[in-house]
Amino acid sequence: MTPTTERAYRAPPSVPFASRLKKSLFASPLDCFITILCAVLFTTIIYAVVDWAFLSSIWSEEDEALCRESSGACWSVIDARHRIIFFGLFPYEEHWRSTLACIVMIITIAASCLPALWSATRLGLLWVSGFGIFYMLMHGGVFGMTVITPERWGGLALTIFIFAAVSLLGMPLSVVLALGRRSKLPVIAKLFGLFIDFFRSLPLLTILFTAAIITPFVLPGWLQGDKLYRVIVGFAIFFACYQAENIRAGMQAIPPGQDEAGLTLGLNYWQRVTRILLPQAFRNSLPSIVNQFVITFKETSIVTIVGFFEILASGSAAYGTGKWTVHYIEVYVFIGVIYFLFVFSLSRYGAYLENKLRVGHD
Amino acid sequence: MTDNSGAQTRAVSMTDVNKWFGDFHVLRHINLTIDDGEKVVVCGPSGSGKSTLIRCICKLEDHQEGIINVLGTELNEDVANIDEIRREVGMVFQQFNLFPHMTVLENCTLAQTLVRKKSRKEAEEIAMEFLHKVRIPEQSTKYPGELSGGQQQRVAIARSLCMNPKIMLFDEPTSALDPEMISEVLDVMVSLAEEGMTMICVTHEMGFARRVADRVIFMDEGEIVEQNDPHSFFDNPENERSKLFLSQILQH
Ligand SMILES: Nc1ncnc2c1ncn2[C@@H]1O[C@H](COP(=O)(O)OP(=O)(O)OP(=O)(O)O)[C@@H](O)[C@H]1O
Ligand SMILES: [Mg+2]
Repeated sequence: MTPTTERAYRAPPSVPFASRLKKSLFASPLDCFITILCAVLFTTIIYAVVDWAFLSSIWSEEDEALCRESSGACWSVIDARHRIIFFGLFPYEEHWRSTLACIVMIITIAASCLPALWSATRLGLLWVSGFGIFYMLMHGGVFGMTVITPERWGGLALTIFIFAAVSLLGMPLSVVLALGRRSKLPVIAKLFGLFIDFFRSLPLLTILFTAAIITPFVLPGWLQGDKLYRVIVGFAIFFACYQAENIRAGMQAIPPGQDEAGLTLGLNYWQRVTRILLPQAFRNSLPSIVNQFVITFKETSIVTIVGFFEILASGSAAYGTGKWTVHYIEVYVFIGVIYFLFVFSLSRYGAYLENKLRVGHD
Repeated sequence: MTDNSGAQTRAVSMTDVNKWFGDFHVLRHINLTIDDGEKVVVCGPSGSGKSTLIRCICKLEDHQEGIINVLGTELNEDVANIDEIRREVGMVFQQFNLFPHMTVLENCTLAQTLVRKKSRKEAEEIAMEFLHKVRIPEQSTKYPGELSGGQQQRVAIARSLCMNPKIMLFDEPTSALDPEMISEVLDVMVSLAEEGMTMICVTHEMGFARRVADRVIFMDEGEIVEQNDPHSFFDNPENERSKLFLSQILQH
């Protein structure tokens, strides 16, 4: 008999870092060559970017004259024109309102990422109040703030407004659509299915054009509202149809026994939907739900085409005058970084959730 | 009316019940009465309609003909009384069907707070009491996915008991379990039976049937073929089909 100590559980043998490195990067002469080549290329590119963006760049508006001699980025244009990028044509002396509104909305978005707030009532309350404050600050007309109508909203603030409004309208609608499509009554299920598939088969651009330009001819005056709101409603329907399919996929993965267990405990339809069906459906398809938000954030730039001054359009305006026209690259890089911050953090958050929920589940 | 006075002591009565899935006649002329406090074991070959029978009692399935009367109320299309009946009838499934996104404790308190309108504190006290009874109070903060099959099934039983049901239905509660976990679930069911709960169990656990059942019902092809007390049924089955079935399950 072997002594028990030899059979005791132990950690797998560890491989030293150096030999792991050698194995994956320098195993053969060809590997060495490729590794070194890549390293050289990589450092050259990184250096060029860092040099352009930071080392040789010009930062302040007053130094704009130096830009012509320097090989780096001319951030003077951002220094001079960032307010247009952020706020569009919003009146200059009211920019604090726009700033505050954006901060409130970003906090709202960030807070809704906290699992502690994941119940229909809490999320609903958070978004309705966050969005309400945003709208109040932007629109004014209360607490002595002057009224600023949506035609003058622009820049990042408008992008955030459209994104938030589309999410706020679209999410509840998507739940309703997903539930409708799963209805036990065939007529209802077919009708919802038709609605969803109809809007999913149209390009977003078509929907926005229709909402902005054609609906005024069709709808009675009192129903038309501002062009911005029509566009948002169209966008929200489009968003909801895609999101509904994501949610429905999550519902499909729930075994029927879950609903039966709810039934036998005496829960009614809404209790089963809100406590059993939806929480599991959202967990099942969180990656695709977050992904839809990411896509929507990027797609907000399309509203430029129906005449809105969101961040990308404001960017063109920022470099569109006088001496700044040559510095469009810097403006687009700046806007790219803003988009990147939003989208990258959203998608990292999605990946984090996916991991976390997988651990929690089994 | 004679039926009304009988309703006091009748937990379930089924009169000439027929049910179809499409063209398939799954329950045929079922006549069955179960008294308050009675324990009935239902057995029979796969596909004979055992699950369908007990699912009709808690209205997870609709029947097309005949009368099903549960706790003195007839099951029909009247939604309000259906919900009321469901609250009084607990069901334990083969696949446990715990809610995976809630802790054990939340599984047990959910319906109490929503349906019975209990305060959270009161619901938690009741839940802990029943978790003690099924001998897993220490698991109350875990999620179902972290428990063994036997533990999950005991939570499922506790979850049903929290609603204080008058009848408990069990659909093969141990057949998804590894052999070493079967007895921990059966033990809980035995003690429940000893407390006088009305129970209808679909199971092939003959030791359990002999120990607690007042009556064994044998089903085949949608019919009740034989009913008898467990000892007579297992030792001297009368019907040819029962004999064949018993010889098959006894081969192991
Ligand atoms: N929803 C359904 N639609 C159509 N047929 C069904 C449905 N549910 C059950 N059946 C059929 O009805 C018959 C009886 O099913 P049931 O589940 O009641 O059998 P069972 O006696 O519980 O069998 P098992 O021991 O395998 O659980 C089977 O032939 C089954 O295929
Ligand atoms: Mg069955």
